[in-house]
Amino acid sequence: MINPYYLQIASFILINIILGLSIYITLSTGQLSLGNAGFMSIGAYTSALLTVKVGLPMVAGILAGSLLAFLIGILIGIPTLRLQGVYLAIATLGFGEVVRVLFINWESLTSGAVGIAGIPHLGRTMLAGLQERGFSSEQWGLKNNEFISLTIFIILLAITVLLLAFFSRLFASRVGRAFRAIRLDEKAAEAMGIHTTYYKILTFSMGALLAGFAGALFAHVTGYISPADFTYHRAVEILVFAVFGGSEVLWGPVFGALFLTVMPEMLRGMSEYRYFIYGTILVVMMVFRPQGVLDQPLLDRLRGRRGGGGDDAA
Amino acid sequence: MRKISKFFLTASILALVLAQAIPAAQAAPVAAKIGVISIITGAGAAYGEAITNGFKMARDELNAKGEVKIELLIEDSSGKQEQALAAAQKLINSQQVTAILGPTLSTEMKVVGPEANASGVPIMGTSTTAAGITQIGKYVFRNSLPESLAIPASVKKAVAKYNIKSVAMLYGNDDVFTKSGFDSMKKAATDLGLKVTTIEEFQKGQADYKAQLTKIKATKPDAVFCSALYEEGAVILSQARKMGINQPFVGGNGFNSPKVIDIAKEAANGLVVATPWFADKNDPQVKAFVQKYEKAYGKKPDQFAAQAYDALYIMGEALKKAGQADRNKMRDALAGIRNYNGVLGKFSFDAERDVVMDPNVLIIKDGKFQIFN
Repeated sequence: MINPYYLQIASFILINIILGLSIYITLSTGQLSLGNAGFMSIGAYTSALLTVKVGLPMVAGILAGSLLAFLIGILIGIPTLRLQGVYLAIATLGFGEVVRVLFINWESLTSGAVGIAGIPHLGRTMLAGLQERGFSSEQWGLKNNEFISLTIFIILLAITVLLLAFFSRLFASRVGRAFRAIRLDEKAAEAMGIHTTYYKILTFSMGALLAGFAGALFAHVTGYISPADFTYHRAVEILVFAVFGGSEVLWGPVFGALFLTVMPEMLRGMSEYRYFIYGTILVVMMVFRPQGVLDQPLLDRLRGRRGGGGDDAA
Repeated sequence: MRKISKFFLTASILALVLAQAIPAAQAAPVAAKIGVISIITGAGAAYGEAITNGFKMARDELNAKGEVKIELLIEDSSGKQEQALAAAQKLINSQQVTAILGPTLSTEMKVVGPEANASGVPIMGTSTTAAGITQIGKYVFRNSLPESLAIPASVKKAVAKYNIKSVAMLYGNDDVFTKSGFDSMKKAATDLGLKVTTIEEFQKGQADYKAQLTKIKATKPDAVFCSALYEEGAVILSQARKMGINQPFVGGNGFNSPKVIDIAKEAANGLVVATPWFADKNDPQVKAFVQKYEKAYGKKPDQFAAQAYDALYIMGEALKKAGQADRNKMRDALAGIRNYNGVLGKFSFDAERDVVMDPNVLIIKDGKFQIFN
């Protein structure tokens, strides 16, 4: 059964996976950034404003949003990456808040706290486009809302798979090894001839790009955004996807986003206790697995078992 | 698909058999599943509690009368758009509800409304007061008095009574509710030709308003229009009075809470608000509701409980008219509701499915809300 409810959850999982990846990439050179909600809002607002006020097509809006987040990522990255650890976290947290307050106060453009409604919806636009060309969702035996949810899901799934493929290749390459070297020891990496500033800004701005991209998608999936969607709660939520799932392997943020999005839905039956349980699970996991649920030894073991004939050294 | 239609077939045959088995003296009640999206967890849970209490009480009363049989399916949104959207999808597609009540916040409605509208499910907000809610589409309703109706009412009365010529304005600019309340205030002031001496802003959770209040005091306005939620509003009032700003305050709907008096004590006197709900109204229906609610939940119903209570009654009324649990028939029946007499007073939907009613204008005097004349 194609149930829009499940597809809706799946779509949010996919967006959250992209957000999780965005923080994973910055973490891969050992930088803790809390500014990703800010980059997300830049992507979301840019795309929303360009499509609503200028009337650009959605693809152009999403690309422009991601690109602007990327450029601002570079601009912010150059001065702030002189900072390390908590100092960087605080600086990026401040950046996120500045962006949010800017959107609140720039009323002529963003309508402030009221937010932007009526953003072109990814699924509904696709459906309208198909109907214009003489197709209808009934041809595939789908109702309109089923078609809309399914389209969103398929588009997001394709994007996420492509991104995962790209980044798993990237992390296996020379660039990826440079990232890891910087995370393990920045000074040693520099002594080895790795251009640390370049790679750090690269990961920071790539993270910004992905966050902006996810934000733009978010705007076109919900159809409404307001500054309240991009508070520091969101930044922490994004960070938790990676930290909970495992911040040392690519599958960590994927698992984190999946689990932490599905969990509150599964617990719907518990009504007022559900976030209580959610919190408890987080605390317990952090106590017993501070490196996150997934790490390299666990992945090796899983792979070994599935492969059967693989070496069982792990 | 096939599975579901099979299920419905057996269900309807069963229903037919059952209907014949019951002596035909009494018509079977019209049964329907109504979905509720509310804030059960998180920061706004207090609103959600009042709202769901109001719904449950109305459901029990309606079902006891035997004309309708309403099953409420309550889902949590924790105040977030994504959660509200997921809950709505669940109600619309998995649980196949006939209509939806909620969600609690206007921001949530802006995400959920288009979805319900596209799916052809009538949805009615009971606490969404921002502008542009029912304009989302023809399946979107609300019974909560919008700020654009409430604020002009209180402004007009205050201006006439105190002979106000100039006003200072103060509002929370980072909250959709206080911001749209301010927009209505500004419009009301311009419409009445008042001179605006200054416009000051504050943020949610701020504790010290002396900077803004000093400026306001220096401009010597005849009154202060303040769009704030009661948490901040009560503190503003108390600091303003201490600084010697004794002009009347006119507030929005968010200011309308007994907690203002609890927090600001005597400083709360002189606050004028417009509200759909007045618990001390001299009306037998209101008195009965307040008494029953207090007995069941141990506290006085606030406007959110009252609005929810009336909303489900309106749904019940529409369900009776529709005669069956059909989404489109429900929508048409709801759109036709006029002059319904509830605890909030006489209620009608206008042509845009928005609220038509006369708000009560109240003033805090001697430590309690009273009708403002």
